[in-house]
Amino acid sequence: MFEWPVISQILWTSLATTSFYVLFTAAFALVLKVNRFFNFAQGGVMTAAFYTAYAAVQMAHLPGWAAFGLALLVSALLSTIIELFGFATLRAKHASVLFGFIFTLMIAQFVAYTAALLFGTWTVTIFPSMFYPVTLVGGVAVSGWDVPAIGSAIGCLTVLFGFLRFAPWGQSMLAVADNPDLAGLYGIKTKWAYLMAMLIAGALVTVGMFLYGSRAQVQPMTSFDLMLFAVVATILGGIGSIGGAAVAAVMLGLVQNASILVIPSQWQGFLVYAVLFVAIVFFPRGVRLPERRARADATRQAPSNTSEQEG
Amino acid sequence: MTSQFRLSRRSLLAGASAAALPMGSLHAAGTPFRFGLTLPLSGPQALYGSDQILAAQWAVADINKAGGVVDGRPLDMLVLDTQADPQIGIQMANRVVNAEHLPVFVTAWSAVVKAQAPIANDSKTVALVVGANSPNVAKLGDYVYTTYPLADVDLTALVEYLYQKMGKRRAAVLFVNDETGVAGAQIYRDAFKKIGGTIVASETYDNKATDFTGAILKVRASNPDTIHIQSQVSDTPQIVAQMRQLGLNQLVTSYAAIYNPEFIKALGAAAEGVIVTSLAPDAKDSPKVAAYVARWMKEKGRAPNGLPYTQYLYDTPYLVADVFRAMNKAGMAMTGENFRTAMMKVHSFELPLTGRTNLLATHEVKKPVYLMQVQKGAWVKIATMG
Repeated sequence: MFEWPVISQILWTSLATTSFYVLFTAAFALVLKVNRFFNFAQGGVMTAAFYTAYAAVQMAHLPGWAAFGLALLVSALLSTIIELFGFATLRAKHASVLFGFIFTLMIAQFVAYTAALLFGTWTVTIFPSMFYPVTLVGGVAVSGWDVPAIGSAIGCLTVLFGFLRFAPWGQSMLAVADNPDLAGLYGIKTKWAYLMAMLIAGALVTVGMFLYGSRAQVQPMTSFDLMLFAVVATILGGIGSIGGAAVAAVMLGLVQNASILVIPSQWQGFLVYAVLFVAIVFFPRGVRLPERRARADATRQAPSNTSEQEG
Repeated sequence: MTSQFRLSRRSLLAGASAAALPMGSLHAAGTPFRFGLTLPLSGPQALYGSDQILAAQWAVADINKAGGVVDGRPLDMLVLDTQADPQIGIQMANRVVNAEHLPVFVTAWSAVVKAQAPIANDSKTVALVVGANSPNVAKLGDYVYTTYPLADVDLTALVEYLYQKMGKRRAAVLFVNDETGVAGAQIYRDAFKKIGGTIVASETYDNKATDFTGAILKVRASNPDTIHIQSQVSDTPQIVAQMRQLGLNQLVTSYAAIYNPEFIKALGAAAEGVIVTSLAPDAKDSPKVAAYVARWMKEKGRAPNGLPYTQYLYDTPYLVADVFRAMNKAGMAMTGENFRTAMMKVHSFELPLTGRTNLLATHEVKKPVYLMQVQKGAWVKIATMG
């Protein structure tokens, strides 16, 4: 098994399959950072996006691009409803984090049961066939799905980070994430920032579910398993760090897939739970490099000094 | 509220009585012979379960239309949803035994059957297993019987064909880590080694996995002649797709659950050459099966999912009716204990869609095995074994 063709194939396939995991993780981390909710309702948005695309292709016989557009529309609508009628209300009532967590779980379950009623519980894919042509590149089998998947993930993340770094709206979202009250005092419309974060997260998971559902079979409860991966990666990457969560998702995907080289394959699924346990117990603030930890400590120190001076 | 919409106690009772009438009671009348059916009507396995339930409902209706079980007394089937979940299966078995007091219930899905078996044995209620193929089903107790051949029947026949007719000597096995996968893979490995072949790889995977690259690459490294997949119905197309994409073009085989049109639909050309088993005659073998398939096409516009399984489910009410008839003739009370005694006394049943069925004292059934291969986008019978 420890031969280069095998290792390179596992690495390539792992990279391709982490494409959707990275998008789910980035979406979860973004909402956690900006909206400050452990948004398990993301699973509901994922389910809604998938079944919209599935119905558009398999029932209405629309082309893939139209199905994707419809899925984007539905996820945007659901994300808006969750933010305006759910999160905004909870925020206004100063609801506890636990209550918000339960609310998002309830939304995800509601969407899953609705999907089960409408589409049944049998596993389905967006397109009728899940087989893609393969090209051999240096002994590595590259399927027709792999390159578009990796390209889509890289493209989405590039746009996301570019938006957050350079666009005024993106900077406003980061300001709200840092301190919503202060951002409000500076004239930033916090409600729009919250909504924007939800819409971007909705778009990311739509791309992710389109990729996932064109390669693997989905049933209404599938998104719950996918969400677990996003949560683990977000904790590992450090809560509040979208980039860290995305990198953690790639690393976790690679470790999970490459683990086949040293452990029996039935233990691969268990690995995520083991990592989750270790992450929560030993790295509740995420895995940080020494330099970064020092910088983070310094940053944490700064506001307290300021408040002391103000006091 | 106007008087015409007012619901009186009398009309409510009349309505409830009408709703509780057994199927086909327009043709058969009298105290019904009742039995239970616990199958998944919802949940991930509902695609198969609902078709199987419909097949059994058609059979009950047909029996009653033809005059019922005996003296115009109809057959009445109580359908309960297990969702293919063992815990829910236990609840449904408890209802059959403790609330409905039925002498027999029909059930399927290995994990569910295993969970229900103690209830059947303790209450002396017969559990007729139709479709669960784990060999352990035959060892679940005095009151658990199968009308469906267990995995050792079809997998042994498949191995004989691969070794003797196709010259395969090196086999790899890929299986899901659950009751169906583990037990089936063990039978395949034992049979292949016993006949003289070599098992070059045996890889299992978690039942929630969606990527099988690692396991497939381990199989590829072992360079087999043939690869057997013992998996859940929903996983198998994904595994075959990923195998083909990773350059494994060897012969792929699987078991009877994979014999369905959805498999070919999901894989397209990648399904070509795959061989699976079937434990019931097809439309070309039997005019009754041809008429049955035509009925599906007429009423549902499609073939049933898992055709052979639905054939067995269609036949089961006929078997139950035969036993009830024997019990009635002997003047036996309608208890599970008496049902078991009468069933084993009759033991040989001539059933409409699957032919003669001999229930063995070992709680097993022997039937011919049909090998089906995907050729030009359709299932084609390539051999009949046994």
